[in-house]
Amino acid sequence: MHCGFCGYDFEEKEGIKGCKNCPMTAGCKMIKCPKCNYENPPEPFWVKKIKKILNKRVQTL
Amino acid sequence: MSLFSKNKSCHAMQSGSESNKRKVVLVGNPNVGKSVLFNVLTGSYVTVSNYPGTSVEVTRGVSAIKGQQFEIIDTPGMYSLLPITEEERVAREILLKESPEVVIHVLDARNLERMLPMTLQLIEAGLPTILVVNIIDEADRIGLIIDIPRLSERLGIPVIGAATAKKRGVQEIRKSIVDFDPKQDVSLNYSSRLENIISEIAVLLKSDYRLSRKSIALLLLQRDNEVTELVKRVEGSGYQGLSEKVKEKIFEQRESFHLDLSMERRKVVTDLIKDVIGTPAKREVTFSEKLSRWTVRPLTGIPLLLVVLYFGLYQFVGVFGAGTVVDILEKKVFEGIFNPWITGVIKNLIPWEIIQELFVGEYGIITLGIRYAVAIILPIVATFFLFFSILEDSGYFPRLALLVDRVFKLIGLSGRAVIPMVLGFGCDTMATMVTRTLESVRERIIATLLLALAIPCSAQLGVILALLSKAKGATLIWGGFMLMVFWAVGFLASKVMPGDKPMFYMELPPMRLPQLSNILTKTYTRMQWYFFEILPLFILISIFLWFGKITHLLEKMVKWFSPVMASLGLPKETAVAFIFGFFRRDYGAAGLFDLQTKGLLDARQLTVAAVTLTLFIPCVAQFLIMKKERGLTTALLIGIIVSFIAFGSGYLLNKMLIITEIL
Repeated sequence: MHCGFCGYDFEEKEGIKGCKNCPMTAGCKMIKCPKCNYENPPEPFWVKKIKKILNKRVQTL
Repeated sequence: MSLFSKNKSCHAMQSGSESNKRKVVLVGNPNVGKSVLFNVLTGSYVTVSNYPGTSVEVTRGVSAIKGQQFEIIDTPGMYSLLPITEEERVAREILLKESPEVVIHVLDARNLERMLPMTLQLIEAGLPTILVVNIIDEADRIGLIIDIPRLSERLGIPVIGAATAKKRGVQEIRKSIVDFDPKQDVSLNYSSRLENIISEIAVLLKSDYRLSRKSIALLLLQRDNEVTELVKRVEGSGYQGLSEKVKEKIFEQRESFHLDLSMERRKVVTDLIKDVIGTPAKREVTFSEKLSRWTVRPLTGIPLLLVVLYFGLYQFVGVFGAGTVVDILEKKVFEGIFNPWITGVIKNLIPWEIIQELFVGEYGIITLGIRYAVAIILPIVATFFLFFSILEDSGYFPRLALLVDRVFKLIGLSGRAVIPMVLGFGCDTMATMVTRTLESVRERIIATLLLALAIPCSAQLGVILALLSKAKGATLIWGGFMLMVFWAVGFLASKVMPGDKPMFYMELPPMRLPQLSNILTKTYTRMQWYFFEILPLFILISIFLWFGKITHLLEKMVKWFSPVMASLGLPKETAVAFIFGFFRRDYGAAGLFDLQTKGLLDARQLTVAAVTLTLFIPCVAQFLIMKKERGLTTALLIGIIVSFIAFGSGYLLNKMLIITEIL
């Protein structure tokens, strides 16, 4: 992921997900940057899937 | 994990590693051309595998140079020897566990000054380093002249200027790998104060490590857990004294050690590159660099900010999103087609009027809750998040943080507070949680107060801008008044809670043209999150209001609020919007939208209602999070202060508008 605030590149799982204290935590999928804590929206599942398929095709070619 | 200790058996642990070959490890920040260099060196025969125990992919290949076989390893991007992410951890582990014969640090010639601190860390760690100044063709294009031999002389290691994508410099890199001489006879020192601190720690390290003692000492001072564990294990009984010394030094430096070290490294780099980087008078400054400068300088940054707010927020979100699109959806689709149809269907299906009311009545789940969510809130948040994503992807936000840093200091905050403030326009609840990342308790309380008071959420802001755009001058009065309250309350709060001025520093990422795919993906994700969050709440509020209506509780509440509304010069029906607003700010704004559509508010009343509602007490969710983050007493105090300021401001504004007859 690329942080929209500080520009830091990090793995989605490295970010901080839905804080336990938040009453809205079930609906919030935002991922906080480990460097600046800015909340970034994750890529939707279907976008990841498409990218994976495209990457595989490129590797095959 | 014994990754720093000299234990040769660890080589055998490496699966997929060509252990009989001499190893060359490529390291550097992401997007500097490491993988391109890797491909150029290795050709197409590579193996990609997850690094043992992680999901991080590592690519390995073989390169034959002057008849010698080398195993080339492409590591994940890393910024420093002190890892934060799993990728950086893996990159460091490879560096240290696989005992490379050569470490090639690849950096971007255009960002030499920013990336050289990592070269310093590799050199001071005693790693056999070659520096590749990559993308030098682009640096040439913008007029940057880098004196490679001089840089090499000052660093005491081989330095090669390259443009690997164009195969420039590749032969020199290959030659340097084969001819590499690990002897480094240049020492790069920090200030005597810092060197003394490091020496005091390093002298207590009695064992041998794969990194230099200086490097280990610095990592201990930066509280690197892995290094601390290792030293504890390796030093045995000597660890106690060492640990106390480290604690003592950390305490002396307080929280500023990371900053101090980063400044010291910056200073070493500044001295290193003196006369190394040439920027001729005619250096071509790119448009993005110019724009970047304009955005952070007050003289140009403030007008630019106003332009962004006017076109982005007012015209696009307010006039287009909350005006044109809402008009089509709300009036034509919902009021004109959907609501009459669904009302007919429900009335045919359900014979009991009271249950009909629950679905399609004045506060019905469909005719009010779903209509508000789909026809009013959704188009507004869609346009807002689109505008927000464009700004975010362009790299504008960190520049905004720098721009406001000086003025934010007047209200006890720093540029860092821009993060929760900006996020507050999306949702104040999550922004309140982000205030915990601010340096001091004082800053956190001031930011929480200002979020609860003067930062409207996107949907509320959009509806209010759309409503005010219908009365000439109303937006300006609302904007000016909100700004005045924001600064006055912030200033007073900073005086009531005195403390040191917070410090703020950050590295600016480059400004770039926003990418359409990023914008659309981010907008889609945010919209989806917002919509699925508000829909059930809007339905719940409709049920509550329906219950209030059938039990006449709502009527009584409106009656209790009537004197307050009258003192603000507002009709008693406005109380409904305020009651809505307590549940959710955006629901309240949508209520105001309904009142305006019914012609119940003139320009003055609209402006007063908009100001009061924007400043009005935080919604239930925000109040709950304030309680969790700041405690019940502070949350209640903030709630009382905010209510007092909201109604007090509304009262004053009403009187002022009546006297001056501006509206």
